[in-house]
Amino acid sequence: MPLLSLTVFVPLLGAVLLVLLRPSNARAAHRLGLAAACLSLLGAVGVGLRGVGPGFSQVEEIDWIPSLGSAYRVGVDGISLPLFLLTTVLFLVSLVFSTRVTDRTPAYVAFFLMLETTCLGAFVALDLVLFYVFFELTLVAMYFIIAGWGHEDRQRAALLFFLYTLLGSLPILLGIIALYLGADPHTFDMRQMVASPPLAGFAGALTFVAFLLGFGIKTPVFPLHTWLPAAHVEAPTAGSVVLAGVLLKLGTYGFVRFILQMTPEAFRAAAPWVATLASFSALYGAFVALAQTDLKRLVAYTSVNHMGYVVLAVAAAAATTEPRVRAVAIDGAVLQMVSHGVVTGALFLLVGALQDRAGTREMGAFGGLLRGMPLLGWAFIVAAFASLGLPGLAHFPAEFQIFLGTFGVWPLAAAITVIGILVTAGLYLRAIQITFLGEVGERWRALPDLGRADLWAVMPLLAMALMIGVAPGSLLNVIHRTASSLGP
Amino acid sequence: MIASLLAIIGPLAALTLIVACRRTPAVFALGGALVVFGGAVGGLIDASAGGHASLAFAGMPDLPLRLQHDSLTAILSLTVATVALLVFVYAVGYMQAEPDKVRFFAEMSFFAAAMQGVVLAGDWILLLACWELIGLASYLLIGFWYERPLVPVAATRAFLTTRGADLGLYVAVFALVSTAGTSEVGQSVAANTGQFAIGMLLLLAAMGKSAQVPFHGWLQDAMLGPTPVSALLHSATLVAAGVILLIRSAPLFSAPMLTAVAAIGGLTILVTGVTALAQPDLKRMLAASTSSQLGFMLIGVGAGSPIAALVHLVAHAAMKAALFLGAGIFQHALDSTVFAELRGVGRAYPRVFILFALAGLALAGVPPLAGFWSKDPIEAATMESPLGAFLFPLALVGLLLTGAYVARALRLLWQGSAQRRPVPGMAWMLVGLAGVSLLATFLGPALVPTAQFVGGRLPTNVSSQLLGFGTAVLGLLAGWSGFTDRLAAPIASPAARGFRVGDGWIDVAVRPALALARAADRLDLSLYDTSVSAGRIGLGLATGPLARADALVERLVLAVGSDGLLLARASRRFDEVDLDGLIGQLVRATQLLGERVRRLQTGFVSRELLLAASGAAVILVLALAAR
Repeated sequence: MPLLSLTVFVPLLGAVLLVLLRPSNARAAHRLGLAAACLSLLGAVGVGLRGVGPGFSQVEEIDWIPSLGSAYRVGVDGISLPLFLLTTVLFLVSLVFSTRVTDRTPAYVAFFLMLETTCLGAFVALDLVLFYVFFELTLVAMYFIIAGWGHEDRQRAALLFFLYTLLGSLPILLGIIALYLGADPHTFDMRQMVASPPLAGFAGALTFVAFLLGFGIKTPVFPLHTWLPAAHVEAPTAGSVVLAGVLLKLGTYGFVRFILQMTPEAFRAAAPWVATLASFSALYGAFVALAQTDLKRLVAYTSVNHMGYVVLAVAAAAATTEPRVRAVAIDGAVLQMVSHGVVTGALFLLVGALQDRAGTREMGAFGGLLRGMPLLGWAFIVAAFASLGLPGLAHFPAEFQIFLGTFGVWPLAAAITVIGILVTAGLYLRAIQITFLGEVGERWRALPDLGRADLWAVMPLLAMALMIGVAPGSLLNVIHRTASSLGP
Repeated sequence: MIASLLAIIGPLAALTLIVACRRTPAVFALGGALVVFGGAVGGLIDASAGGHASLAFAGMPDLPLRLQHDSLTAILSLTVATVALLVFVYAVGYMQAEPDKVRFFAEMSFFAAAMQGVVLAGDWILLLACWELIGLASYLLIGFWYERPLVPVAATRAFLTTRGADLGLYVAVFALVSTAGTSEVGQSVAANTGQFAIGMLLLLAAMGKSAQVPFHGWLQDAMLGPTPVSALLHSATLVAAGVILLIRSAPLFSAPMLTAVAAIGGLTILVTGVTALAQPDLKRMLAASTSSQLGFMLIGVGAGSPIAALVHLVAHAAMKAALFLGAGIFQHALDSTVFAELRGVGRAYPRVFILFALAGLALAGVPPLAGFWSKDPIEAATMESPLGAFLFPLALVGLLLTGAYVARALRLLWQGSAQRRPVPGMAWMLVGLAGVSLLATFLGPALVPTAQFVGGRLPTNVSSQLLGFGTAVLGLLAGWSGFTDRLAAPIASPAARGFRVGDGWIDVAVRPALALARAADRLDLSLYDTSVSAGRIGLGLATGPLARADALVERLVLAVGSDGLLLARASRRFDEVDLDGLIGQLVRATQLLGERVRRLQTGFVSRELLLAASGAAVILVLALAAR
C-alpha cells in the first residue's frame, strides 16, 4: 500500500470534497477537515511504525519521463520522518483549535488541508521538480490564509510574506536547475544528488549561495527575517501555528537536505561565515524578542532565535570531519525543529486563546491572570519553560546536542551563542511575571479559562513536549540513523 | 542501587498522586518523603557494606544518563532526605491556613525528586538537567505567593541569576564531554585534570547556586517564599548544590584554581557575614548567614580538603534548617520576620527558643554541638594549606562574625516582651523543628566516621581548634553585648542591603540587557521598513493595488468556494501521471485565475502566481535545452 502518498494526499482529498460538497454549516466543514487531518496523522504514524533504514526508505516511485530523469518519487529518512509526523500533528491541532471559526468555514478548512498536503509533500519529495512544486504551493495556500482570515493589517503582511518568500524560491529554482545540469546523467532524483553531490568548484559555490539565500529567507536568518514577525502578528492563530511550526521547517529542512547534503564542499568552505551569521541571528532574535510587549510578536521573534541554533548546528556539521560531532549536531538540529514546532505551536495557541478572550495581546495590559485562568496560565508557564530550554522538556535535549556539536567545532561560538538561553529565560520570565503574576486587575477577573477545544489542541502538544524532553531517545534514534551515516 | 532509585521515584510518585487526586496532598508528600528517607537509609547501609554501582539508562545516542551509587552519594542523599522529611512534617503545620496546599506539596515533592537527582547523578547531562530543575522548583516556590508584592520579582531574579551563572556549567559540560568523549562524571573529570578554564566555569555555576559574592543578592530576596521553602531549598539543600558540584569536580582543580575557589569563599564569608550582622530582618539575616557558611565550604575545597567541606555541608544542613524552622514559628506567632517586631518572642515561646538557640550555638561553633566538629576541620585545612597565611585568618574572622550575628539574633529575640498566642499547627512544626535541632546538637561525633566512610581524612589540629573556639566565644560575647552593632553602625545601611552596587542586579544586568534589546528592536523596525519600501519600489507597487488586495482576496476566496470545479478539475488532472500535462495544467489554472484577477483590475497577485507556477515550467525548458 502506498501509505506515504496516501498520507500526503488525504488532506487534499478532504479539500476537494469540501469544495465539491460545499457544506452549508460550519460544523460539517470542520468535521470533514478534522477527519482528513486525523487520517493523515494515522497514516503518518503508520509510516513512522514502518520506520526507516539507512538511506531513504518507503520509497514510492512512478516514472514520468525517464529520459528527463524526473519522476514522482517520495520517501523518508531520519531527517524527514520526524518533520512529516510533526506536520500531521500540528495541522490536526490547528484544525481542532480552529473549530471556533465560523467565517467562510469551508474555504478556511480547505486552504488548511491544501496547505497540509503541500507541506507533507515538500518534506517527502525525492524529486527536485516535485519538491519545488510543493514548496511553491505552500506559499499560495498560506498567503490566502493570512490574507483571508488575518487581523487588521493582513494585506500588507500577507503580501510581504508572499513576495519575500517568493523571492526566496527563485534562487532555489536556479539552484535546482544547476544541480540538474551538473548531474551526470541529468536527473532530478534527489537521492542521487545526496549520494554524490554533482557540483564542485565555482558552480557549487554559486548553487550554495542560491540555496543559502532561498532557505535563509524561509528559515529565517537575519537579516532576511523581516517578513516573519509581520506575518505572524497578522496571521490567524492556527495560521501562526502552521507558519512557525511547519513552514519555517521547510527552510531548516532545506539547510540539511539541500545545502548540507547537495553542496557540501561549498558549505564546508563557507561554514564559519554561516555559523557567525547563525549565531548572530540567534542572539539577535532573542534580544529583539526581549524588547517586545506584544506576546505574539515575542513568540515570533523567539523563532528567529531557535532557528538560529539549528543553522548553527548544521554549519558545524558541514565544517567538521568527525562523524561523531556531525551526528550530534544533526541530531540536535533535527530534534530542535520538532521541539520548536511542538512548543511554539502551543505558545501561539495559548496567546491566541488569550487574545480571543481579552481582545489584546499587550502584556502591559494584563497582570495576575494566573488566579482567574489557571489552566491557561500554567499551560503558558510550561510552554514558556519548554521554550527557554528547561531540562525535561522538548528543547533541552535538542539544544544540548546543538551546542555540544558546535562546541566540538568552534568552542567559542558555542560559548557565546549559549548566552541566548539566558536571554530567552529572561524574556519568558518577564512575560510570565507581567502577564500572569501579581494581583489580578478588575478588568480581567471574569475572563473564562481554556475551553474544551482549546485543551484538546494544547494539551497534546504539551504532552509531546514532555515526552520528547524526558525520553528523547525514541525520536533521536530515528534521526540518528540518518545523522550518523551522513558522509563527510 | 534500588534503594537510591526509591529516593527519586518516591517523590515523583507523590507528585503524580497529588496532581491526580488533588486532595490530601500532605499525606502523599509525607509518604513520598518517607520513601525517600527509607531509600536513602537503605542506600547508606548498602554503601557501608562496600556497595557501589552505576546505572546507565535512556538519554541521547551515545550519551546515556547515569545514576551513581557510592559512599559520597549515599551520605548526601541521606542528608537531603532527612532534612526534607523533617521539613515536610513541619510544613504540614506551617501551611495549615494555606488554601493552595496541593500546589505547595506538589512543588515541594518535585523539588525533593530533582534534588535527589542532583545528588545521585553519575553523568553531567543528568546532573545539569536536575541542576536546572531545582532552579525551576526554586522559582516556583519562591513565587508561591505570587499575588503578593515583590514576590514575582524575587522569583524571577532567583531564576535568572542562577541561570546566568549556570551558563558556566553548560559550557564546562560541553568541554568535559567533548574532550573525554563520555559524559560520565568521574572519567571526564579525570580526563580534564588541570584545565583551569573548565574549573573556572564550574566555579561560576557553583557561585550562582550557592549565592556567593557577587551573586548573593537573589538568596536574600528568596526569603519572601514560605519558610519551609527557605529551610529546605535556600539553606540546607539547593544552595549546597554548588558546593556538591565543587566537591565532585575537585580532582580537576589545579593550584591556581584552588586559590580562586578559596578567594571567592573568603570574600563571601566577609561580605555576607557583615551583611548578616546588620540585617534588620531575621530571615534575611539567616540567608546572609547561609551564603557565609557556604563560603566556609568553598574555603575548605580551596584549602584542598573537599571532605572538610562535605562534613560542614552535612552539619550546616541540620543547623540552618533548624534556625529557619524556628524562625518560621516566630513568624507565624507575630506575623513578622523583622527583628524590631519580634522582640521578646523567645521568652513567649521558650521551647522554640531553646531549640533555635541550640542550632544557633551549634552554628557558632560551640562544643560539643555539630558546628564545632564541622568547622574545625576547615580551620585545620586552611592552616595546613599553602595559602594558610591568608586563609586561616579569614576563617577566624568568619568564625567571629558567625558568633556575633548568632548572639545578636538571640539577644534581639530574647530581650523585650511579646504576647503569647496560640499558633495553629504548632505540634507539627515543633516535631519538625525538634528533629533538625537535635541533629544539630548531637550530630557532631558522627562526622569523623562520616569522613572516613567517604574515604577521606578529616584534618585536625589542636591549635586551630583552640583558636577557633576562642574566636567563637569572643564573637558570641561581642554580639550579645551589642559591641558589634556599634562597631558596624557606620556601614549598617550598605551592609543591610547586602553591599549591592547602585540598584543591584537591576542596574548591573536588567537595564543593560533591556537597553540592548530595545536597540535591537529599533534596528529591526528599520530593517522592516527598508524591506517594505524596497519591495514597493522593486515591484513598482503603488499603494493602490495594496489597498485593493483585500477585495481581491475576498473575491478569490469566494471563487474557491463557489467555483469548486476549478479546484476539482485541477486536482483530478493532478493525478494524471503526465508531467507535461501537469505543468500545462498549472499554467492553465494560473492563467484562469489570472483572467479572473485581471477582470478585477488588480493583476498583482496573479502575476506572482503565474511566476510561481511558471517556475516549474522554466525547469523543463532549460532542462530540455541542456540535453
